Amino acid sequence: MRTDDLITGLAATLEPVKTGTVVRILFGAAMIGLVGSVAVMLGAMGLRHDFATAITSFGMWTKLVYTFAVAVLGFVVVERAGRPGADMARPALLLALPLLAIAFLSAQQMRAPDADMPGMVLGHSSRVCAGLVTLTALPTLAAIFWALRKLAPTRLTLAGAGAGLFAGAAGAFVYSFHCTEGAAPFIAIWYTLGIGVTTALGASLGRYLLRW
Amino acid sequence: MIAQEAQYRDWMLAALMGDASAYRMLLAALTRHLRSYYARRLDPAAAEDAVQETLIAIHARRATYDPALPFTAWVYGIARYKLIDEFRRRKRRPTVPLDEAGDLFGHDEAEEAIARRDVSKLLEKLPPAKRDLVKDIKLDGVSVAEAAKRTGMSESAVKVTVHRAIKSLNASLGKTPERRGDADG
Repeated sequence: MRTDDLITGLAATLEPVKTGTVVRILFGAAMIGLVGSVAVMLGAMGLRHDFATAITSFGMWTKLVYTFAVAVLGFVVVERAGRPGADMARPALLLALPLLAIAFLSAQQMRAPDADMPGMVLGHSSRVCAGLVTLTALPTLAAIFWALRKLAPTRLTLAGAGAGLFAGAAGAFVYSFHCTEGAAPFIAIWYTLGIGVTTALGASLGRYLLRW
Repeated sequence: MIAQEAQYRDWMLAALMGDASAYRMLLAALTRHLRSYYARRLDPAAAEDAVQETLIAIHARRATYDPALPFTAWVYGIARYKLIDEFRRRKRRPTVPLDEAGDLFGHDEAEEAIARRDVSKLLEKLPPAKRDLVKDIKLDGVSVAEAAKRTGMSESAVKVTVHRAIKSLNASLGKTPERRGDADG
């Protein structure tokens, strides 16, 4: 086909684009993915038995706020990753904030006079936590990958990492409704590891699955 | 800031609201930049394919342009991605340096016009018969066989003449003849 004819054809099929299309596509995918992640958590693990009382506990809110903050930044990274020429570094650097906050809170809890150090670090589920976070994240990771393919990621490994970051944090958020741990050091280590594993998984799949 | 940024961005914003004539002007302008960008990096047939593929990508993914960001950087991101994709398909793994959008848009027509003028000045140094031969084959893309038919020379004589002419031009520029391997390798 001649390039001039192509241009004529493209101009003839031009339709207005609504503002906010990118965010809408990603947000829709995130919601679908979250439904899947919740289904995995409820189906394979179950809601924590003491949910009714735990929902007001400090430990529960530590998990929710920490993972939510990382998920928000992950969403921004993914949104940037889907746009050619956009800067991903700045939102990624902001990750330092929730990481520093959870580290600070951990240090404070461990400094308490009656602190049970091994219990705070290992809890009773440290061996499965990161793996279950990643498992819970998988439906969300798949949904975000599917959405990113409709956008225009140009740096596929980074885009995949961003998708993994968001999915990992969203998975950890959902997983915290199953998990009965609440000590900040536990969350800082094992939740962060689970998010990191999902990020690495996304980064390694990006270049194969995000091509367009 | 790239010179054409403001104009192209205006066209793009109009196109996003459905203005087909602004869109057509934008695509025509981008085609010129893309042609020269890919021509310097791919062989001619692949270059035109890449131009078309990039235009289609720009069209299909135009919603990903964020009006808060430079338009030229957005187009450059897509052009570079399509170049890497083309290399990937040929199972080559060259590194495409992370340049800036200036790489796509810096090569403007004024510069090309100056280059063309320089070339024709240079060609004037050759005797007329040789000059026509070099112009036909090297600039206008006439095949060696056709040039041989036109001039009544043998094909190998045409090749030798052109080769010597280029060599003498290079010598007049104070350069040793370069091997043209970069575009074909």
